Amino acid sequence: MAAHNLTSTVQPSDVYGGDEVQAFVLDPGYYFTRAGFAGEDAPKAVQPSFYARINGADQPKDIYGEQYLIPRENLEVRNYMTKDSIVEDWDTAPKFWESLIRNQLLPPRQVAPKQNGLNDIPREDQEGDVEMGDSNGADKTGDTAEDEELKLFEESPLLMTEAPWNTTKNREKSIEMAMEGWGCPAFWISRTPTLVSFAAGKPTALIIDVGAANASVVAVHDGHVLKRSIQKSPVGGLWLSQQVQALWEGNDPKVEPVPFFMVENKAPVDAGAPAQYTARKLGFDISETFRAYEDERLRTEFKESVVEVWRGPTRFMMPGTEEIARNQTPGRVFEFPDGSNHMWRETRYRVAEGMWDDTAQLPNTPDEWKISAEQTLSSLIRNCLSGVDVDLRPNLLGNVVVTGASTLINGFNDRLNIELTQMFPGLKIRIHSAGLSSERRFGAWVGGSILSSLGTFHQMWISRKEYEENGVNIVEKRCK
Amino acid sequence: MTSLDARDVLGIPADGSSRPAKKVKISAPRQSLKGLAREVQSLGGNNPIAIVPATSTFKKRRLGSRKPAARWKLEPFKNSAREGDSSLVLRHWKRVGELGVPPPEEQPENGDGEPQELEDSAFAKFSVQVQVPQYSEDQYNSNLQNSDWTKEETDYLLHLSCDFDLRWSIIWDRYDYKPHALDENGDGMALVLTRKERDIDDLKARYYEVAAKMMAAQTPVTYMPPQQQHLHNVMANYSAEKERARRKFAADTLSRSKEEAKEEESLLLELKRIDSRAEQLNEQRKDLYDRLDYPATGEGDLAALKTSSGLQQLLATLSSVDRTKKNRKSIQENGTSPNVQTPVPESAGGYGGHGRRDSTVSGHGHRDSIGGDSAAATPTTSRAPAKKGSVSAQAAVTAAAATAAQQERRRLTDMEEIVYGVSHHDRLTGGATFRYEKINKLFSHKSGQQQQRITNVLAELGIPPRLQMPTGAVVSRFEGLIGHVNTLLDSRKLSDKLDAELKTEMAKKQHRLDMEERARKAAEEEEKKRKKEVGEEGNESAAAGEGEGEGSKDDDQKAQTGEKNGGNESASKATSEHQAGDAAPAGSDPPVKQEVVSRPGSSGQKRSVSVLSTVDDEKAVKRQKK
Ligand SMILES: Nc1ncnc2c1ncn2[C@@H]1O[C@H](COP(=O)(O)OP(=O)(O)OP(=O)(O)O)[C@@H](O)[C@H]1O
Ligand SMILES: [Mg+2]
Repeated sequence: MAAHNLTSTVQPSDVYGGDEVQAFVLDPGYYFTRAGFAGEDAPKAVQPSFYARINGADQPKDIYGEQYLIPRENLEVRNYMTKDSIVEDWDTAPKFWESLIRNQLLPPRQVAPKQNGLNDIPREDQEGDVEMGDSNGADKTGDTAEDEELKLFEESPLLMTEAPWNTTKNREKSIEMAMEGWGCPAFWISRTPTLVSFAAGKPTALIIDVGAANASVVAVHDGHVLKRSIQKSPVGGLWLSQQVQALWEGNDPKVEPVPFFMVENKAPVDAGAPAQYTARKLGFDISETFRAYEDERLRTEFKESVVEVWRGPTRFMMPGTEEIARNQTPGRVFEFPDGSNHMWRETRYRVAEGMWDDTAQLPNTPDEWKISAEQTLSSLIRNCLSGVDVDLRPNLLGNVVVTGASTLINGFNDRLNIELTQMFPGLKIRIHSAGLSSERRFGAWVGGSILSSLGTFHQMWISRKEYEENGVNIVEKRCK
Repeated sequence: MTSLDARDVLGIPADGSSRPAKKVKISAPRQSLKGLAREVQSLGGNNPIAIVPATSTFKKRRLGSRKPAARWKLEPFKNSAREGDSSLVLRHWKRVGELGVPPPEEQPENGDGEPQELEDSAFAKFSVQVQVPQYSEDQYNSNLQNSDWTKEETDYLLHLSCDFDLRWSIIWDRYDYKPHALDENGDGMALVLTRKERDIDDLKARYYEVAAKMMAAQTPVTYMPPQQQHLHNVMANYSAEKERARRKFAADTLSRSKEEAKEEESLLLELKRIDSRAEQLNEQRKDLYDRLDYPATGEGDLAALKTSSGLQQLLATLSSVDRTKKNRKSIQENGTSPNVQTPVPESAGGYGGHGRRDSTVSGHGHRDSIGGDSAAATPTTSRAPAKKGSVSAQAAVTAAAATAAQQERRRLTDMEEIVYGVSHHDRLTGGATFRYEKINKLFSHKSGQQQQRITNVLAELGIPPRLQMPTGAVVSRFEGLIGHVNTLLDSRKLSDKLDAELKTEMAKKQHRLDMEERARKAAEEEEKKRKKEVGEEGNESAAAGEGEGEGSKDDDQKAQTGEKNGGNESASKATSEHQAGDAAPAGSDPPVKQEVVSRPGSSGQKRSVSVLSTVDDEKAVKRQKK
């Protein structure tokens, strides 16, 4: 698609190496699913991997799309991925992706004015499900347009990403879905670290990916993931959110945030003062999952704006360091949805310290979220490297690539650098992290976009014919 | 309606004088300037200086040269590099009209025509595969048996090697061999037992073993081209043990603590320093040896030391060397180069009594070989005074500095020096000189007779006296040749002289015999006829005088040059001449081994002897050189 945008009328020469074939690139993560066309520099569609399930009277109905994750009766928020960042719900996932591609990647469908909803009288109440009619209901119209879209699926190869620890069964499911469900002409599945290394332009790299459900450290050599080096642990965004939660709960006074949707209006108050707001009256019960989803959104906001990684040089838990943090660093104010606000000083460092130092976890962390010393990022890196050929290690440390949205926390790279230098004093360490936050959030997707628009890649695709001849296990043979 | 009409209506005079003249707009939309520009602008006060700030205007689009938009077309293509299925057709955008995409009008729009030949991907050619050794069942059994490896596992290894293009780190990473045969029996225990944990070096060793053996099986090692042979050698000699040790060492290096790393770094630095110091030391030692070696090159040198003046001279030389060295050191330390006059050993004048001799004595014959040494400059300084009478230490210092700098540079081999035309000089005289002038000099300070003789010899040898192509090498050879010719002439002269003397002596002897005969006869006659006296001494002495004449002539010449060179021996000249007279009869004996005690030009007393021994000395040197 980007070929349209070339200002020059000259066709790129072979040196450029690109040869775009209009492939779809799909990067499912625990928190976000990213999709777009190969050759572009950012995914067109980024959507939380959550979907709404309406438990109605008869049978439950699934609705896909971020805009439908709203307070509603009987609405349950679900995720089609597991906490291991692999696809679990293979009934839902294809539908989820399909709706994502249809609604966000393809040009809007022409619908007869009678049905496009623009002329409807706006309804006040939330109860009607007219606006929700998406995947199952409103497919009666526009048959020709539908056909055209189907054709698009049938003409575009699909490149998917997967976690490096993805199971064989899962991979086979992916190709099955692509070939039989969507009728793709060609398919490829690639592990996220490989793609991230592509995006960073480094064939050999140590990929540190701190996403939502997982943090992983994986060595990539010449575009191949080294399986013995794969290390993962739960110290990702969700874990960090739990630390935030523990911080709020352990705070004096205890902070009990009210999510956005429950606030009708609010009045500004001084820092530390109790909130003044009127709660919204919903005539129904809010499901726990929806509440959790909303809370997570709030904590993410808190992480983005308040939480910071202690940059060292000494660890935060070293005696005296906390005082320095308290007295010499600026505090940050965070306003909760209900208008109450607090100043956060040294504790905002404490939250992220557990990533590096398990003793720094907040004491009131729930047991299921406690991590061991082996699960800190520092240990992951060390264990990862010890599973790699010695000769590669210096090269890997010279090409450390940081990716995943949770690495966007301030100070992450500085701290990582310090930890690495302390761990490997004699070696040259270079951290490569994309300056653009979009590149860091979509690293794997961008790599997929690059890979699938490389001229030399087209000989790799698993074609439909090959799939038909060999069956699903071809994916294991080819996508090593 | 113009403004004039309006005025008319209002009754205002047409010239508009009642109206205040329109103020010239001073503060025209002034751009808010920044920095220096604002300061400059405000210098003018209310009457701003006419500085027009540059405004950047965008270039107008040239509409004329606009080409129609390029047309692109979604074009199907295939990729012949695909292994499994090269029939996969993908589509990409191509510019219409380019290779492979015919302009639209030529293309049948309905598409019912026979299917067009699909374009092949331009990237198919980049697909390359590594070559891994192939073997048949028989070949395996005859060549590749290994107690540690089954054929299945070897197959698996080679398969992986091919898959991962011999990237060993990945091969080892993915290596996960599960024997199949046992699987069928359901013997889970055995399966676990037979699975071996192999490290990267085991895999490499096996692969290289197979590869080397298959290579040798195809072509015997001796018939391989050298490159292949080398490869075979490397593979056949792969030692997993050594690699393992190296890997372990590397791992240890990586796990050093910060202090250890630092210490090692400083130790390495120290080592480097010691190494370079040792090199320098060796350099100096070699130089010293070179100097110490010198006396052994000729017995004549010892002879020089046997006299007091010789010893004095040696002392002076050594001390001057010492001093220049010290100077150099201090200069190197201070980083400045004071113009220090080196005291010139006065006695050195005698040292240079004979031009040609000079070069043989102090030239060392190493000039070129140690030209790059820092210490090579030292003999230069000690020699220089002999020629000029005094020399500034600066020259020596700069030379030393230059040579020191040269040391830093890459040392060229002899061959390279020839190729690049590099030559070493102790000192370059200012200005350009012609090489033939150098040759002319060889002739010009010879007497006409000698010149004639040299020319004759050259003619005999068929060499023109005037070189046609006086390149550096040719000239230096020619110089050598002339030297030899001189030696030859000298020897010839001596031999002539000796011949002449011999003849004279023979004649004398004959004469004496005759005389004796006659005397005897006369005595007999006398006896018979009573005695008669005959005198013979007079003749004898006359002959001797003649023989000495030539020698003293030569001697005079030499003495004169000696004087010119600042010799202090004019006082001893008289005595030497006196002695020459005395020595003359001795000269009538063939001068055997005279050179043992003679050091020409170094001692005035021995002068006359040296005259005769000059040539022999030369001969001795020659002989030694040979
Ligand atoms: N600016 C930010 N600062 C800190 N954390 C952030 C920021 N933006 C997003 N996050 C967190 O990053 C996580 C999402 O990261 P990312 O999109 O890389 O994960 P994912 O790929 O969906 O998950 P996974 O890789 O675990 O499957 C969320 O937990 C979110 O809270
Ligand atoms: Mg991710």
